[in-house]
Amino acid sequence: MNADLETLQKSNKTELERRGSIFNIGAPATEAVTIRDQIAVGFGDGTVRFFQSGSDPKTVKAHKGVVLSMTNYEDHVLTGGEDGRFLKISSDGNIDEIFNFGSKWVDCVASHKDTKVCSSGKTVYIWTKNKDKPQTLEHQSTVAGLAFDNKGKRLAVSRYGGVTVWKLNNNKWTASNFTWKGSHGTVTFSPDTKYIVTAMQENQIHGWRINDKADLAMRGYPSKIKSFTWVGDTPYLVTSGSSDAVCWPFDGKEGPMGRKPIVVANGGKELATFVKALNGEKAVFTGFTDGSVLLAEIDESKKPIIIRSSTGAEVSTIAISSDNSQILIGDMKGSILLSSLWADN
Amino acid sequence: MENTSQVPVTVLTGFLGAGKTTLLNRILTEQHGRKYAVIVNEFGEQGIDNDLVVDADEEVFEMNNGCICCTVRGDLIRILSGLMKRADKLDAIIVETTGLADPAPVAQTFFVDQDVADRTKLDAIVTVADAVHLSSQLVDHHEAEEQIAFADVILLNKVELVGDNDIVKVNDRIRKINPFAKIIKTTRCDAPLDEIVGLNAFSLDRVLDIEPDFLESEHDHEHDDDVTSLSFVSDTPLDMDKFQDWFGNLLRTKGQDILRSKGILNFKGEDERYVFQGVHMLMDASPMGPWPKGKDRSSRVVFIGRDLDNMNLKEGFENCKSA
Repeated sequence: MNADLETLQKSNKTELERRGSIFNIGAPATEAVTIRDQIAVGFGDGTVRFFQSGSDPKTVKAHKGVVLSMTNYEDHVLTGGEDGRFLKISSDGNIDEIFNFGSKWVDCVASHKDTKVCSSGKTVYIWTKNKDKPQTLEHQSTVAGLAFDNKGKRLAVSRYGGVTVWKLNNNKWTASNFTWKGSHGTVTFSPDTKYIVTAMQENQIHGWRINDKADLAMRGYPSKIKSFTWVGDTPYLVTSGSSDAVCWPFDGKEGPMGRKPIVVANGGKELATFVKALNGEKAVFTGFTDGSVLLAEIDESKKPIIIRSSTGAEVSTIAISSDNSQILIGDMKGSILLSSLWADN
Repeated sequence: MENTSQVPVTVLTGFLGAGKTTLLNRILTEQHGRKYAVIVNEFGEQGIDNDLVVDADEEVFEMNNGCICCTVRGDLIRILSGLMKRADKLDAIIVETTGLADPAPVAQTFFVDQDVADRTKLDAIVTVADAVHLSSQLVDHHEAEEQIAFADVILLNKVELVGDNDIVKVNDRIRKINPFAKIIKTTRCDAPLDEIVGLNAFSLDRVLDIEPDFLESEHDHEHDDDVTSLSFVSDTPLDMDKFQDWFGNLLRTKGQDILRSKGILNFKGEDERYVFQGVHMLMDASPMGPWPKGKDRSSRVVFIGRDLDNMNLKEGFENCKSA
């Protein structure tokens, strides 16, 4: 396969870069989430900045040290920090401290409707509406990933040795364990909630079919998988960690079992570090170690489009506004590109 | 990956009460003009309160291939990757381990995890030893032996509480286990910080610092499970293929008992010196420039470990000599 990036990068700035705005924050962009027409980004200097087309970003000094985790919650964002604080932040800069864990980091956060969740060490803390005191769920090792299913009835917690899936019944959480040797990080439910998948500390992802706990080992990556995203109606689980965006099909009874993934958006010598679905399309944005970003359809016969040319800093986050009009790309050097996705915007 | 922006990491070991906290407090409070983050363990003594202190839970993980050399500190992978996202660059990171911890998984993390290896580098393993209690701790706890064996630097602390004769004795006992560590005698860990942090002790060219004095191949035998060291010197050039076969097989089959290995090698037909340094089954090796003019081209290797007598090391090394 041609290295899509090498041929494409002979051109200079992309159209998207020309019409967009660049902000140099000076600290790595760690997380980005969309809240209506704004995109909130967490940084390594502890700030959360709200970006919106046509205006300067609003800066909220949220944490002392790195913003480790972030998710959206109603009109707010929830953040977890290196300073041990779990915060609820509004775009006008109001900070509500939900809890302070002291010198223990708040590694992961999650939310569903009015439920706020975070993890610190081996414990998951759950705040439900109108309750000041959190429910706690204990695990045998440090929690490295949290994800709700789409109904908010199940919470997947990844850790060393597998995933604990907690089910909510009559206000009580009961655990079911999915075991696979090794250390499991970021976790996700498939959109139909039939599968859970984790990115491991080794160069592989691991999945389970929930109803029978059948294992799916997805290997062959040259580096760790730091990012994955569900794309299209099939759906595909698209992952970083390779020189291409690797797309595993999760349709049919068996999902990706015994099937080969589709590979799109070839980065040549560069490795994919971040992937993000284009909502409503069978297409994915793929960011690479050199800062470039490609948009590719999940179709090996189609050529990808170069969205952003090489900058020299690894892409660490990509977010798309909820109306699909704006894209935000952040990197490890703290450069943010905010641009409209379509020429007539 | 060679990378000048890698942050050096010092691993601090030593039994409870030896003086690790005293040293950490010095690192955090002294006006040294540098930014050090300190990763402490959950069983650490109280009294350290600082923005640059991170609580860790010392989770030792096996990577899923089940190989002993791939036992790593999972929490360290997570914390180091978090620290690398800080806006302000750290000059160094210090990892404290619990008194009873085996230093191997910490050291192995820097060999096994690619993200950690790309952004940080193991600078040195520093062990704080209690001059009063070390001798008895060595008898009672194999962890104490391992901490001495793994060390690049040993702070022999509380020397003010021990008579001169006893200092010589404990010094000799340390030397028997570990002939290449630098021993610094201290009171309240009062060694200059630049002799503890930022040493580059794990850098391969430091292997060249092995002092020839320690390389007399003799040792007193005590118990079979004692940690001891063995070293060999050869003025005859070695055969590269033979050495690689022997050494590779040795680490694969006996690496569990070989805690540390280091060496400088003179291969027949090669102008450059080869150096290596290993932790259990994991090893780094590379050519390290030409031999200095006018100096002997002798190969030197050191092993620190258990049961070394049953590995036929001497015979194996001798067989590597070129015909």
